Amino acid sequence: MNTKAFTPAETCSTTEAAPKRPVLECQNLSVFAGSKCILREISLSIAENQVFGMVGPSGAGKSTLLRAFNRLIDLQPNFRIEGTIRLNGNDIYERSVDPDQLRSRVGMLFQQPVVFPASIEDNVLFGLRHHRKLSRSEKATEVESALRSAALWDEVKERLKESALRLSVGQQQRLCLARTLAVNPEIILMDEPTSALDARSTESIEQLIVELKKQRTIVLVTHNLGQARRVTDWIACLCPSKESGSGQLLESACCDSFFESPTCRTVFRQIPDDELLPPA
Amino acid sequence: MRRVFDRFLTGLTALCALIGVSIILMIVAAVVWRGGGAISWDFLTDQIRLVGASGGIFYNILGTLILLVTALAVSAPFAFGIALTHGVFLRKTRSRERLMMWIYVLNGVPSILLGLLGFIVFVLFLGWGKSWLTGGILLGMMMVPTVAVSLSERIQALPSRYLDAAAGLGLTESQRIWSVILPQSFGGWVTGSLLGLARAAGETAPIMFTATIFAGATLPTGIKENPVLSLPYHIFILAQDSFDPATGEKLWGAALVLLLLVFSLSLAALPLRLHLHEEAKTS
Repeated sequence: MNTKAFTPAETCSTTEAAPKRPVLECQNLSVFAGSKCILREISLSIAENQVFGMVGPSGAGKSTLLRAFNRLIDLQPNFRIEGTIRLNGNDIYERSVDPDQLRSRVGMLFQQPVVFPASIEDNVLFGLRHHRKLSRSEKATEVESALRSAALWDEVKERLKESALRLSVGQQQRLCLARTLAVNPEIILMDEPTSALDARSTESIEQLIVELKKQRTIVLVTHNLGQARRVTDWIACLCPSKESGSGQLLESACCDSFFESPTCRTVFRQIPDDELLPPA
Repeated sequence: MRRVFDRFLTGLTALCALIGVSIILMIVAAVVWRGGGAISWDFLTDQIRLVGASGGIFYNILGTLILLVTALAVSAPFAFGIALTHGVFLRKTRSRERLMMWIYVLNGVPSILLGLLGFIVFVLFLGWGKSWLTGGILLGMMMVPTVAVSLSERIQALPSRYLDAAAGLGLTESQRIWSVILPQSFGGWVTGSLLGLARAAGETAPIMFTATIFAGATLPTGIKENPVLSLPYHIFILAQDSFDPATGEKLWGAALVLLLLVFSLSLAALPLRLHLHEEAKTS
């Protein structure tokens, strides 16, 4: 594990007793937009079946890092990366890698739920139907299982043909999760998935995250330190450097020891949510 | 002082607007006044008789509709191609700007030049003679800039989160085009096409040597030597060549029908344009 300045305390009481296989690793990763450096030399390693949290003030490059993990950054003009990102040991920026195929293995959930103006059912199948041909009965099974995994089935099973735009924002976000789960990715990247949601919807998403990590790896960017404490196993803290403004990795540590780290406590004060800091 | 100047400018602007609107109203009023009497069921359903002095304009309306439908079909693939090249395939701002510049140049080509080009290429070189298809193709070419601009504006306004979400699910670029970009910009195609058609419907220059004749044509049965009658050319010939006072009312009647056709196309585009603006506000 690449950590800077601070080595996580040995008393990691979380589930991380035995070290797990790393699924996603990045080594000296820098991201540039034109000539501006957005992220500088990030090295971290994300283990299997873990909820890996990323916190830090706005502008630290957290979302950019997520977008580098599934090469969504390729779609933005003028972005360039240096260093390596490995998924199960294979460099994802190698020429032979098909970015579209990669994105079906590394799913993403965005800050605002993005539902398409179509029925609930069509939204769930939106990605999957492009990956393989589905019979009518397969479609029904896939829709049900994806909606069940996203804890939305009971609320919408009577109205699968209705427009998805009629759902509440919280339901829409779970629908987006169902759509991502239908494609069956190994990793799900979540970019502040609850920042647009009310407390109850946030709670249900958090429960889902804990549930989902039994089978998948989750990378969660959050501004909410309370949420980070509740659901993550490991946390990385990113912060823009004072001189250049490019994001740097301050800390990467298991959740319990992370909140005791002195460097991170300084950074936390810059985050609006700092009332969630554990008592000193 | 500043206030007086301000009021003066406001007044001047209002006056300009008033003059503009009243010119249009006067034209419409004149056409309705003089042509209203000619409009009857027979006028709309009978064919031309006695060199336009009698009978109706049935085949002229039909011919214009044939030309417009062909133009619509011809313009669509080009417009989609240009809009997708502009909005999706070209990554550099500079090349996008250059493409747009050429679209505006095409938009500025005088229609008589398009007519001559069509005459040389289709009538003479390909030996089609006067053909409805040539007219449709030329009117389609005239429409391309309007449709392409309207479409690419729609594509540009498409929130990037839709594309990110689709890409995040592993859709390839062509899948993203088919399932996100095209369905979401369809309204732009409809709006642009209606506006383009409204303009093409009244054009005489591109079709007068290439596609339309004054009398003696009904429905086309093939491509070569198969001209159609049309409303604008009918008006043009009656206005220019006829000394028979009986044609006067028929001429204005044909103008009124053409005006109504153009009006209804523009009007049909209006709710769609407003709808687009509302969407832009909410997203």
